[in-house]
This record gives sequence, C-alpha cells and structure tokens, in this order.
Amino acid sequence: MKRSIEEKLLNPKPGSKVAAAKEFGIDLTLLLRQLRLTPQQRLDELQLAMIEMEEFSKAKRISGK
Amino acid sequence: MIKDLIKSLSKNSVEFIIIGEVANFYYGIKTITTKLEILYSSEAENINKIISAFSPFNPQLRDQTESLRYSLDKDLFQNKIELLFETKIGCIDLFSEVLGVGDFKTVEAQSVEVDIFDVLVKIISLDDLIKAKRAAGRTKDLLVLPELEALREVLSDEEE
Repeated sequence: MKRSIEEKLLNPKPGSKVAAAKEFGIDLTLLLRQLRLTPQQRLDELQLAMIEMEEFSKAKRISGK
Repeated sequence: MIKDLIKSLSKNSVEFIIIGEVANFYYGIKTITTKLEILYSSEAENINKIISAFSPFNPQLRDQTESLRYSLDKDLFQNKIELLFETKIGCIDLFSEVLGVGDFKTVEAQSVEVDIFDVLVKIISLDDLIKAKRAAGRTKDLLVLPELEALREVLSDEEE
C-alpha cells in the first residue's frame, strides 16, 4: 500500500533520505506543516518570523551573564 | 507566531525558558525560525497554566498522524520529555529538561532575563546552550557549535 506524505515524514523508513534528514536534525513535523500551507502562507510566515526575530536582536537584557 | 506564543505564556504566568533556535538567534546566530522551543517547569500548577495558555488555540501534537492527534491534556505531560504542538498562533515545542544540562531549576539558575515584546522572558545561557548542542550531537546541532563558541569567546573577551 502506498504511504501518504504524512506517514513518510512521521514514520520514515530506515535508510531512507527522510530518515537521514531526521537524524541530521531536521524537524520533519515542521516540514509536514509547511507542506500543508500554500506558498503564499509560507511566505507570510517567513516574513513575520523575520520581523519577530529582528525584535530579539533589540531585546534589552535585564539580568544574567 | 512567536510573539503571540510568548504573550500567551506570559499572560498565563507560565514558568518557562526559551531554548533552541530562538535562543541561537538571541546570541547572534543568523537563523530564521517559525517555532518557539521552551523548557517548562514540571510543577503541576505550571502545567495547568500551560494548558490554559494554549487551550484557546486548538493545540495538536505535530508528531502524530491526523487520525491520532491529541488535544492538550495534562496526562500528555506524564513521562514525556518533549511535546511538539501546532496551534492557531504558531508551533511550540515543550521540553521538561534540556539534554546535557538538566531540568528547569538547573537551567533557570544560569539563564538571562530579557525584555522582549513588552514582557520579561528568560533565555537559556550561552554556556548551557553550547552544552545542549554538544549533548544533542546531531549534525545540525554540531554545525552551529563553532559559531556559538566563537561568540562566547568574543563576548567573554569584551567583559575583561
């Protein structure tokens, strides 16, 4: 039986490229979520992420080393 | 997204520490991520606060096929080191400990506190972030180690 994209990403076959990506450290659950979005939604998320991450560059340290 | 997730955690007084790629970025690694990774205090009261923070946003486990997806429930936190959720306001990974470093109290002791999005949040220390990456040992984690260690050296030089 043919496996769905979801099954391939969430339960990769040993020795597959998907399994290698998981071992490398790629979050396959996030990749699956990306595939569910439209290209426009992916771009919108990326743009928002860039704005939010930039905020972290300006975050003011209150305490700690 | 990350801002909404942090605001919801803060609004519900959740005890948490930012770890992962957002922490990488805070220390200077140029990376873009759309998910928030946090270490949470495993106290029962804190878990209830986490549930309150995300229940309105239809949280579902990302690492289960759609037919097996569960909603956010305190039973899920039993004996689980990591929980990967997708919510209406973004993706969040919840960890009860940081591999190579320890539990919430251990990480909290060395964490830094920053003002971001008009709330105070804790971020894992650079030293602990490096320990965690080394302990994780995956290629992706090891690749970022030289840059983090260089940053640590530069930052410590500045303080001398």
